[in-house]
Amino acid sequence: MAAETEAADGEEYESRVGASYTLSRLLQDTSARISLFLIAIISAGALFAFVDAEFLDYRLAETYLYHPLRNNVGARPLLPPVGLSNQFGEGVMAHPLGTDTRGRDIAVRLLYGSRIAIQIALVSTTIGVVVGTTVGAVSGYYGGWVDDVLMRFVEILYSIPFLVLVIAFMAAFGRELIYAMIGVSIISIPIFARLIRSEVLSIREETYVEAAQAAGVKDRNILLRHVIPNSFAPVVVQTTLQMGTNILIVAGLSFLGFGAQPPTPSWGQMLSIARNYMLPAPWFSVWPGLAILVTVMAFNILGDGLRDTLDPRLEN
Amino acid sequence: MSHLRYTIKRLLQAIPVLIGISSITFFLINAMPGSPVEVMLGPTASEELIAAAEERYGFDQPIHVRYVKYILAAMGGDLGRSIHYGVPVTTKIMERLPVTLLLLASSFAFAISVAIPLGIVSARRRNQPVDHGSRVVSLIGVSTPNFWIGLLLIIVFGYHLQVLPSNGLVMPLTPISEVEGATSRLDVLVQTAKSLIMPTIALGTLQMAAVSRIERSSMLEVLGRDYIKLARAFGVKESVITRKHAFRNAQLPVVTIIGLQLTSALGGAVLTETVFNINGMGRLIIQAVRTQDYALIMGTTLFFGVMFVIGTLVTDLTYAYLDPRVTYEGED
Amino acid sequence: MTASTPLLSVDNLQTQFETAEGTVRAVDGISFDVHEGETVGLVGESGAGKSVAISSILRLVESPGEIVGGEIRFQGETLLSFEEGPDGERRRSPETLSNEEFRRRIRGREIATIFQDPMESLNPVFTVGSQLQEFIEINRELPPKDARDVAIETLREVDIPKPEDRFDDYPHEFSGGMRQRVLIAMAIACQPSLILADEPTTALDVTVEGQILNMVSNLQDEYGTSFVWVTHDLAVVADICDRVNVMYLGQMAEQANVHDLFDDTKHPYTEALLNSVPRPDKTVESLTPIEGVMPEAIDPPAGCRFHPRCPDAREVCREINPDARNVSDTGRPHNAACVKHDAFDVDYEHSAPIKSEDDEFGEDLQVTEGSR
Ligand code: SF4
Repeated sequence: MAAETEAADGEEYESRVGASYTLSRLLQDTSARISLFLIAIISAGALFAFVDAEFLDYRLAETYLYHPLRNNVGARPLLPPVGLSNQFGEGVMAHPLGTDTRGRDIAVRLLYGSRIAIQIALVSTTIGVVVGTTVGAVSGYYGGWVDDVLMRFVEILYSIPFLVLVIAFMAAFGRELIYAMIGVSIISIPIFARLIRSEVLSIREETYVEAAQAAGVKDRNILLRHVIPNSFAPVVVQTTLQMGTNILIVAGLSFLGFGAQPPTPSWGQMLSIARNYMLPAPWFSVWPGLAILVTVMAFNILGDGLRDTLDPRLEN
Repeated sequence: MSHLRYTIKRLLQAIPVLIGISSITFFLINAMPGSPVEVMLGPTASEELIAAAEERYGFDQPIHVRYVKYILAAMGGDLGRSIHYGVPVTTKIMERLPVTLLLLASSFAFAISVAIPLGIVSARRRNQPVDHGSRVVSLIGVSTPNFWIGLLLIIVFGYHLQVLPSNGLVMPLTPISEVEGATSRLDVLVQTAKSLIMPTIALGTLQMAAVSRIERSSMLEVLGRDYIKLARAFGVKESVITRKHAFRNAQLPVVTIIGLQLTSALGGAVLTETVFNINGMGRLIIQAVRTQDYALIMGTTLFFGVMFVIGTLVTDLTYAYLDPRVTYEGED
Repeated sequence: MTASTPLLSVDNLQTQFETAEGTVRAVDGISFDVHEGETVGLVGESGAGKSVAISSILRLVESPGEIVGGEIRFQGETLLSFEEGPDGERRRSPETLSNEEFRRRIRGREIATIFQDPMESLNPVFTVGSQLQEFIEINRELPPKDARDVAIETLREVDIPKPEDRFDDYPHEFSGGMRQRVLIAMAIACQPSLILADEPTTALDVTVEGQILNMVSNLQDEYGTSFVWVTHDLAVVADICDRVNVMYLGQMAEQANVHDLFDDTKHPYTEALLNSVPRPDKTVESLTPIEGVMPEAIDPPAGCRFHPRCPDAREVCREINPDARNVSDTGRPHNAACVKHDAFDVDYEHSAPIKSEDDEFGEDLQVTEGSR
């Protein structure tokens, strides 16, 4: 009987960490459902923009919408959204959110800007997670001088404010988007390294790891098969939240002129242009910020939902 | 171990971290294309002129020699000269540092004084409209770019209502004659307060949101503890339970979060200063990068590190003050 | 016992918890009395509802729990009663003490508690002395200075060495046994008429438990305070209680004075409990564990709640959920909720025994009261 109970618990544990179980529980939460829906829409837009920009040279945009980079012949600049008017004219249906300084359609630029945000969220965060997890796992598992050296390095990286670190990094290498992405990956490393290390330190003491060690399983295999999968839940939660944070950081960088260079649209950069027209065209400043807010919020809600699902201890 | 000895120990421990920061920035900066002298003298300068200037600034020496020299000098408090401003880096930093510190202090004060009551009310009225409202506010707060909040505030209060200045920060100790329309110290202070409002909200909102979230969950957790039940069982008033019995315990995770928020607040200061054209450390580093002012980039980065280290130390000391269980013995 | 009005009388108390899985009737209509100067035991396995009963008396049941029925009278005053509302719903009657009055006049001052877990029950960020002093200030309306003196005096009474010095120590600087003494000091320092002790010695080792039980008996002799002593440990019951109430799954199984309960056991559950634990008057060899585990209060068995585990269960036990009624043949009150007694006219004798269910359970199961 006792043995049976244990087996049952084991199964439940398995099913708890299983992806489909997590998803089905997550979908019971309305706000998590909405956030997933939003992320799906934004990602679809980003994918569309990515394909169009990289492979089709904006032909889709030109045919069906407006060219996001080129001046829009005949369109008036700094138009307000539909239903409003300013000194430049009245908002028109053709440009529902208005136009920017060169008469480009803001809605289309927002759509193409989503690509940068999603790219950052996926690529930079993933690199940060992979490297950070490896560093943290190795550090926590081996301890000793390896731990000392790695953790000192992580601590130093962590002591420089994220934005400042990336700015210094970009000062050295260049202001293009790719360096912003690398910079953001680097600042994500300490976060995951610390997280995983503390998880590993607690898991290392568990019996099954000790048993594997006693049975002569190779260190690398123990790390891969036992330690890392068991730290899965907190990493997934932190990754989701970090995606939001990274989007915010890159938006800030672009705002400061570090990141996607004009004419490629990014939300932060649109804001830095809009900043010069706050008085005549305030709406121009509103939309990109709203886009950032909604995207980051979607990741944050999803992260909270995942935390509640994966880690019931924290539910409240 | 006393608080004082602990503080000294922690400061000593910070030295390797600061050396590490200097080293990282040193090597990063030296990965920059071109020598700073070329940048300074412009593309038309002759070879000899460049060579002479490089010798004067020590750029002709091999990198490891320069590195050792830089670190040694930095430990002695000499961070080199700013090529752009033509003054020692430390001078420039000391001029800008108080501005950023004032901005940070004010935004943390704002964040904490709003977040804690908000979090407590939220916890006490869990799942009631107040709670839902404050949770939505916090969620938006942690998801909004602070420079955008700054822009919106400027649009509304600076341009439309024209009630607050949207440019610069008036330091409280600025000479009266330098402040427009001020005839007394009080006028200056009023100007300081007015010019602080918008930057404070812009920078503090994220911290406010993060703190109120943690305050809520931590208060909920503490209110469910046995010692709270015990206090109730002995007839302690609910208001006293919240204010006294639960409050101090509930602040422990909050202090930790404030420590973790330091890094984002310091980064946020760079953006806020840019939006409001405030001449603090944040704008200084941006200007340094724009002008490729090597020594200044290294110096400002280092000082951001220093601010972080000191901020963390302060939160740790606060934690230890709040929680008698913290002993410094086992600390390493 | 005397026929005078009891100090505390609990009548048909019901407390339930709304959970996602359904309603848990943690306390399902229990009644018992406590007289002046008496120590009354409340006994049962974990989950029997003892602690919820204590919390209910003090109105400390927290959401999603709720007291839904019953009457509690204390010193002739109605602490709690229910009436039918205009729409037929049950609501608190006007005689019920208001929450504010209850907090001010009853909690701590008249009815004090000793909690189960000494490690969790003291606030870690305040000194032990200041916590004790605060309760004294509130409940005896003493100025801080005097309250401090009383606090130190009480700490001395509960055998804390050098109480003046320990006054300013924090809880983490006290051992488990010492903290428990502090909790006891809190209860007695307020000079209540009744102390509800919720398994106060469970977390302690046997020696410390012995010392504390001794101390409590002495203190009781001195002050004449009444106690309700919640425990799962019959040895403790035998040691300090005058009368005993045995609870099973939120209901009363047996109520009698301590000698009758041990020597003239009327309920099979009590019998099983007695057989499962070492008794001073029995040797270890004769121990027999109770078969099976206690079902969940969320889904109690129909009929007598004990029937799936009861060695004497008959078919009739599946149908009737007996109330605890007087089955005494000695003239002293002795209640038992078991249909095998003649007071229940249900023809137990001719009902067929239930046998099959016994086999479902393994041999090695113990009473499930645990190390919480
Ligand atoms: S009523 Fe039946 S099942 Fe219940 S205790 Fe008595 S004999 Fe056992």
